[in-house]
Amino acid sequence: MTCEYLDRDVDAYVDRELGAEAEAAVRTHLNGCAACRARVTERQALTRVLRSLPYHEAPLRLRSRISAGARRSRSIRALAVMAAAAVLFIAVGRGTALLGPVRGDGSATEQVVDGHLRSLMADHLYDVRSTDQHTVKPWFIGKLDFSPPVVDLASIGYSLAGGRVDYLDGHPVAALVYQRRQHVINVFVSPSAGTASRGPAAESMRGFHVRRWTSGGMSFLAVSDLNDAELDQFVTALRAS
Amino acid sequence: MLARKFEDTVMPHLDAAFNYARWLTKSDVDAEDLVQEACVRAMRFLSSLRDGNPRPWLFAIVRNTWYSRVSRRGSANEAAAVSGQDERPDEALDPEQQLVQQDTVARVRRALEALPAEFREVILLRDIEGLSYKEIAEVLRVPIGTVMSRISRGRERLLESLKATAPLEVLR
Repeated sequence: MTCEYLDRDVDAYVDRELGAEAEAAVRTHLNGCAACRARVTERQALTRVLRSLPYHEAPLRLRSRISAGARRSRSIRALAVMAAAAVLFIAVGRGTALLGPVRGDGSATEQVVDGHLRSLMADHLYDVRSTDQHTVKPWFIGKLDFSPPVVDLASIGYSLAGGRVDYLDGHPVAALVYQRRQHVINVFVSPSAGTASRGPAAESMRGFHVRRWTSGGMSFLAVSDLNDAELDQFVTALRAS
Repeated sequence: MLARKFEDTVMPHLDAAFNYARWLTKSDVDAEDLVQEACVRAMRFLSSLRDGNPRPWLFAIVRNTWYSRVSRRGSANEAAAVSGQDERPDEALDPEQQLVQQDTVARVRRALEALPAEFREVILLRDIEGLSYKEIAEVLRVPIGTVMSRISRGRERLLESLKATAPLEVLR
């Protein structure tokens, strides 16, 4: 054992990563070499100070948000499976072929309102928080297999606040979040079946207003507790941009 | 089922993931975002988690998420705001010792932050998170020999910069 050998392995020795045999050889060398002992002591002191550095603990809100997200993804998956099973059951029961989505508009509206409420309650409005459309749009890359159009309408009082990936009907959708005074508007965007433009159609449920329309191969669902007139203004501006 | 596995395997390491993310991003806000995105990925990849220590697995996801973010944005160090507020001194020491301890902790933290990322992360994973060389090699996907040499060079550099700013007796 020489000092040169320890040049290479002093850290592995301090970290107890040498095998038993090599470790014993180092110890023998250290007994007779004050210079190498000093090197080891210095490393150990450094390690000790590093361990005393303040540890950054996860904030409570992050912890509960992640827990809620994990639970939600389970319940949504379970719902989707149940819904699929129900459709299949009805189709088989009637002896007919599956003719596409069986659900009516009513249940779809309910899902959208639920999605909106969920985003407000679980404190999970944004995965990306930014008023800059050039930050929000690229954020979806790699998370969805489509790229939602993102525009900021702050100039007319509807400011972009952020976005997140959400689930509607078991499918991932882009959720864009806009703010008008204290009101939140969720806009759910997903690819539509055709390229034809349709809508907007208006619905209301439990005090929330929903607008649905299709354009440019995307379907849009806007939901908010904002009054009808302003929501219409918002939707018109969004469709025109 | 999946949510239960997530609670049992990933959630106990959330503090470690956050601390690691905090060192990578150097910002509380960015660290929160990073951990949240990493957890969404972890949930998706949960079935790929084999038995054994989930910590290196989670660190690897946090790290990959960070580097894919950085490459999307183009720069690693844009959010390098540093706060010194949580260097609370140890109450058991007398005031002078407290000052020395506070000063040492602050200096070591600054020195570690100033270290190039490739050295900083191995020191972090080894000395602060207590991972073995083998586990660090898994996180970084490099050979153990590379881990060893980076730890050596990282500590050399740390010691050099600490010796350059003040005498080293505070380290003893």
